Amino acid sequence: MDRRTASLAACGVALAAAIAVPFVASRAEYVLDVLFLVFLYGAMATAWNLLGGFAGQVSFGHAAFLGIGAYTTAILTQLGISLWIAVPAGALLAGAFSLVIGIPAFRLRGPYFSIATIGIGEATRLIALNWTSLTGGASGLTLATAPPLIVQYFAALALCVVSVALAAWIKVSRFGYALAAIRQDPDAAETLGVATTVAKTQALFLSACLLGVAGSIYALHYLFISPDSVFGFGTSIGLVIMPIIGGLGTVTGPLLGAVVYTFIREQLAATLANADLLAFGLLLIAIVVFEPRGILGIIDRVRSGKKPPPEIAAVGDG
Amino acid sequence: MLVAGLYAAMSYGLALIYGVLKIINLANAGFLMLGAYVTWWLFTAFHVHPLLAPLAIVPLFFLFGSALERTLVRRVLGAEPIISLLLLFGVWLVLQNLAYVIWTGDTRSIDTPFIDATVSVAGMQLAVPRLYVFAMGVLVLVGLQLFLTRTYLGRAIRATAQDRDAARLVGVDVERVNGIAFGIGIALAGFGGSLLSLLFSFTPDFGRTLSLKSFCIVVLGGLDSIVGVAFGALSLSLAEAFGVRYMPASLQNLISFVVLVVVLIVLPKGIVGTLRALRRG
Amino acid sequence: MAEPILSCRGLTKRFGGLLAVNRVDLDVEQGEILGLIGPNGAGKSTLFRLIAGIMHPNAGTVTFGGHRITNRPAHDVCVAGVAATHQIVRPFRDMTVLDNVVVGAFFGRRPRPHGPAAAREAALAALRFCGLEGRAHSDARTLNLSGQKRLEIARALATRPEVLLLDEVLAGLNPTETDQTLELVRTIRSHGTTIVMVEHNLRAVRGVCSRIVALVNGSKIAEGSPEAVLNDEAVVSAYLGTTHA
Repeated sequence: MDRRTASLAACGVALAAAIAVPFVASRAEYVLDVLFLVFLYGAMATAWNLLGGFAGQVSFGHAAFLGIGAYTTAILTQLGISLWIAVPAGALLAGAFSLVIGIPAFRLRGPYFSIATIGIGEATRLIALNWTSLTGGASGLTLATAPPLIVQYFAALALCVVSVALAAWIKVSRFGYALAAIRQDPDAAETLGVATTVAKTQALFLSACLLGVAGSIYALHYLFISPDSVFGFGTSIGLVIMPIIGGLGTVTGPLLGAVVYTFIREQLAATLANADLLAFGLLLIAIVVFEPRGILGIIDRVRSGKKPPPEIAAVGDG
Repeated sequence: MLVAGLYAAMSYGLALIYGVLKIINLANAGFLMLGAYVTWWLFTAFHVHPLLAPLAIVPLFFLFGSALERTLVRRVLGAEPIISLLLLFGVWLVLQNLAYVIWTGDTRSIDTPFIDATVSVAGMQLAVPRLYVFAMGVLVLVGLQLFLTRTYLGRAIRATAQDRDAARLVGVDVERVNGIAFGIGIALAGFGGSLLSLLFSFTPDFGRTLSLKSFCIVVLGGLDSIVGVAFGALSLSLAEAFGVRYMPASLQNLISFVVLVVVLIVLPKGIVGTLRALRRG
Repeated sequence: MAEPILSCRGLTKRFGGLLAVNRVDLDVEQGEILGLIGPNGAGKSTLFRLIAGIMHPNAGTVTFGGHRITNRPAHDVCVAGVAATHQIVRPFRDMTVLDNVVVGAFFGRRPRPHGPAAAREAALAALRFCGLEGRAHSDARTLNLSGQKRLEIARALATRPEVLLLDEVLAGLNPTETDQTLELVRTIRSHGTTIVMVEHNLRAVRGVCSRIVALVNGSKIAEGSPEAVLNDEAVVSAYLGTTHA
């Protein structure tokens, strides 16, 4: 009970600080810009984690949902439709697409599902690239006006809070237990009455809707989207890496991962092209080999002052 | 259709590694790309004829692969499959972006008289490199089959692929076999990449499309059968050759993804596996 | 006689050319402990998986409480009220013992507990029943084999089954643990749950089961009281045939 009160208090303080930042920070423009990215990425990573972390279904094609959200909002606003309609439409379209691909793809297990998602991500990118009449093809789409930065900032913050709160709620709910059981042993979960395919599809749907909203915010921030930016494999890679850095299948891990991810990108992207992805690759290898539970695992280890049980990596039916 | 030889050559390694270690080598794309770049680099920097490059690439990649298995892959073999998948995904990221850093993202291609040569066979003009690559695809298939069936090491690899514990019981050094199989798998990927550089221009990113094709091929053929791979390569190249008649060339790559996803979903055991099951049933 | 709670008719499963289960008829009476015996490879575990929906038969039907459950997915069968343990224990290794059982309590047969607190309460009750409450907060992977087998039972029990299928829950246990587990099985029965158990330990089967069915090569060869079946000539020769071959 104590720990719970403490972590709730910590969340409250962090949230209050995040709300206060735009009004107190000097160099507000720059700070807001960085924090905006952290919150947006944090929301995206948390959304991915619902399926990849909680349910253990690693998707390498989640950019598809971001892209659908971004393009829907961009196209609808170009037609003069209000954001209040465009953004939910983007989320729902992403969610609908997730059902279209999820129902067949979840007949596949674990690694096979992951490989299929590479194909799905690549296929959606190619479609966006070639459906020129709708998407403008390789030259992308440009949006006319953006809401002020402070509105974008609060939109990203709100999405991030909603995602993390949703994750925290799912984690302790019946649904969360279903997902955790699926991650560890789908067969055992089935025999205990868990409708595994339904649960996975629900997680994918939620994940896709959140990414659809994130895609809309992304499009409104950059005012320019192209198949290689929002549908690109680099985006999918980022979505995989952030939760792993922070702690796969945890509530706050993806947000931590987003902080690290944004920081490394800001530092390295300017120095040398692709140095950031190189760093992420090395980081990914190091985490998987030494501490598959990511930053939160390291914190846990330091706090308890002991080594993880030797079988920590040897999970599953082998 | 001659491209089938290439498709096969770049997929054998994937099937071998899956067969023995039961992990999916997501880094295959990285090694394909690296094989192509090393061939290009040997050619431009030292004027080594691209056909000779595999003489250096195959042993080098073998050593690299074995070392990788010994240092990293071995640590995650007992873990959930997703862990090894993520590890090799990391390796792929490193290789790909190292290539960006070293060779930049510019498109490279190898240009020698050999590349442009054609011969006429039965009235058709055929590109010599394509014929060569096809021949190599067949040759590697035969060589690999002979190796796996006729040598002690090859038999040990097959035994391990079939039943790891039983192989250990009859005295096979399973850990060593893992290292060797992974090494051979990587060497095959490097060789495939070297062949690739004869046919296509490339960038550090180009392995991805081709690697997806490899997955498509091994899934078509069954994830652990070498003959199945040749069969899968043939099917995919036929599907592509057929498909381009009905859709724009820019969508050609889509064919393999659609085939991949459909096959994964309809025939999770691959065509060969399904045939086998049908015969038994 | 009352309608059987669970019955199989002509249940058949082929693996390639091999007939693992061959036209088996099986009736389970409400409230009994039915033993399923047979030499290795007789098809006992396959029969269990067919009933539990983990595998689907090539032919035949499974009826539970008057409803056909043939070809229903495993989770549906569990929700209907037939729970199964796995021959090779499959705990969720990274969850605590309690959380393992909470999964069963949250899902399984209706009515289900409302909310996490009620599910935990139900799970704790199942753990207490199986003598595991002391380990509730340990990670499941830290349990020894006997503990993991109990966890399998507790998890299945938490799904509130009417019929519980126990697949070799005694295998690998020492005599003390065996006796404790048999006592547990009796207690579960006394609380109204019908039990079908696959078992190799014939002495245990004789002690606890009210009725026995013997399978050999996928076919039912004998059925009746423990004494009758264990002295049946065909059963004895099947066992001797495999153990002394």
